[in-house]
Amino acid sequence: MPSEVLVVEGLNVWLSGKHVVKNVSFKVPDRTVFALMGPSGSGKSTLLRALNRLLDIYEEAEVRGRVLLEGVDIYSPGVDPIWVRRRVGMVFQHPNPFPHLSIYDNVAIGPRLNRMVKSKRELDELVRWALEKAYLWDEVKDRLHMPAAKLSGGQKQRLSIARALALKPRVLLMDEPTANLDPVATEKIEELIAELKREIPIILVTHSPEQAARVADYTAFLYYGELVEVGPTGKIFTQPENPLTERYLLRRI
Amino acid sequence: MGLRERLLPRLRSRDDRVFFLVHLPVPVIVFMLLASMLAVILYMSLPILEREGLRVFTSNVWRPSDDPAREEYGLLAAIYGTVYTSVIAVLVAAPLAVSLAVAIEELVPRRLRGAVEVLVDLMAATPTIVYGVWGLTYLAPLMKTVLNTLHEHLGWIPFFSKPTLTGLSYGTAGVLLGIMVVPYAAAVIREAYSMIPWHLREAVYSVGATRLEAIRVLLGSVRPSIVAALVLAMGRAMGETVAVSLVIGNSLNIDVALGSPGTTVSSLIASKFKAAAYYEYMMSALFAGGLALFLIGLAVNTLGILYIRRWEEEMHGAA
Repeated sequence: MPSEVLVVEGLNVWLSGKHVVKNVSFKVPDRTVFALMGPSGSGKSTLLRALNRLLDIYEEAEVRGRVLLEGVDIYSPGVDPIWVRRRVGMVFQHPNPFPHLSIYDNVAIGPRLNRMVKSKRELDELVRWALEKAYLWDEVKDRLHMPAAKLSGGQKQRLSIARALALKPRVLLMDEPTANLDPVATEKIEELIAELKREIPIILVTHSPEQAARVADYTAFLYYGELVEVGPTGKIFTQPENPLTERYLLRRI
Repeated sequence: MGLRERLLPRLRSRDDRVFFLVHLPVPVIVFMLLASMLAVILYMSLPILEREGLRVFTSNVWRPSDDPAREEYGLLAAIYGTVYTSVIAVLVAAPLAVSLAVAIEELVPRRLRGAVEVLVDLMAATPTIVYGVWGLTYLAPLMKTVLNTLHEHLGWIPFFSKPTLTGLSYGTAGVLLGIMVVPYAAAVIREAYSMIPWHLREAVYSVGATRLEAIRVLLGSVRPSIVAALVLAMGRAMGETVAVSLVIGNSLNIDVALGSPGTTVSSLIASKFKAAAYYEYMMSALFAGGLALFLIGLAVNTLGILYIRRWEEEMHGAA
């Protein structure tokens, strides 16, 4: 039976005292795309950053609730946030490879920092594997040592994906990964998502219901920090239970 | 295109033209001030240049005489001392300035940040004579102990090949200068560090970096600003006068040993200027020292700019 890789139970987040994620619970099964959709300011990105403890680097953030990653509560006292981030990959809204590092070093940074490989050859292989997975290898294999700043927007975003994949994470978080890309680059990323979910569950934040409908198996609708509705994408889009969801899908809110 | 079109920026609106013309005198005055300064320095150094040629920069003598025919001046020791002490200063200041900038941005709690910033600004605003007196009474004896201990144990290294009797030396001057320029360099680095986009910080933590690893990666992304900060620091170190002349020992000496006394162009000018008018060529030689300072400063800045430009080209030039 497909186990749930990530389970969120009663998660609350406060940013500077403001309650932005309110008692949210959901489960993400393995090898699926789980979309978090909602209007801007609904707390999607904040919720996502609670799932790899990236909120720890925000001075004013407070998290309460449970997030189980393969059964381990990542907020229990003995858990090191670095251990969590190493297992939960993340791709951001702004394509953000390190501009001063080469393409190769951008992918290699995770394995290097976490001492995942023993030899240069092993690292070479891992970098190639990650770039192939991110559909970027063929475009960059002859210029791996060029600074990442010279790539196009879409290529940069795929490089960010390769950087996350090189850690061999158990879950991949994507925060509006196509928001800053043109339609062609967007299509490529969406194809990539469909390919990647065969191996790893993906949690995708999007402000576009169309994107959720195109790529997600499960969709959750978040509205002002509250989880209004969650379920299989087909059901959410055809027979939403909550009138709020229906109004959102019809672009009335 | 008429001459006027080519000389003036294309200001099609009458108001923009008036604005431009009203403000034109300001940059012109600033430029003329700089040009006239350079002109005076050049003009004043002409007599010694005509008499000695480039030897005034490449020889090490200082022979004033009542008989102008026997006068001879060479600035090499001072030029060497200026470059040597500024390089030491930059080597001392670089790690301190980077650490200070990172500490303020990353480690100091937000509530205390204001207080720390005021302290650093105060460090920059402290009159240099205060540094000089502190250097003379506290740093020089301390450096004397340090340099002599190093000489005892590591005397085979050229830098530590000589002991110091007074502590007044290249080493003390370099360290004092290094401390003095820290706030300037730190301010530039901090500015750049705080401008690093938040999404890059998130990216580095998202791949499992510790705080230290994240700082190292992020500092790499502002490398040109660190270079710019050090060029600025070196410029300030080269120009510093009072504090240096108190701790360097003022001797026309060229030595690689940190314990040896020496001099710099600025402190040479400061210490000789009063008496210079009694001699035919000394004043001119001191102005030639000013010219040398200007040229060294120009060279350091040019190198810095070239480095930054190359970096930018590498990052954003054609693939």
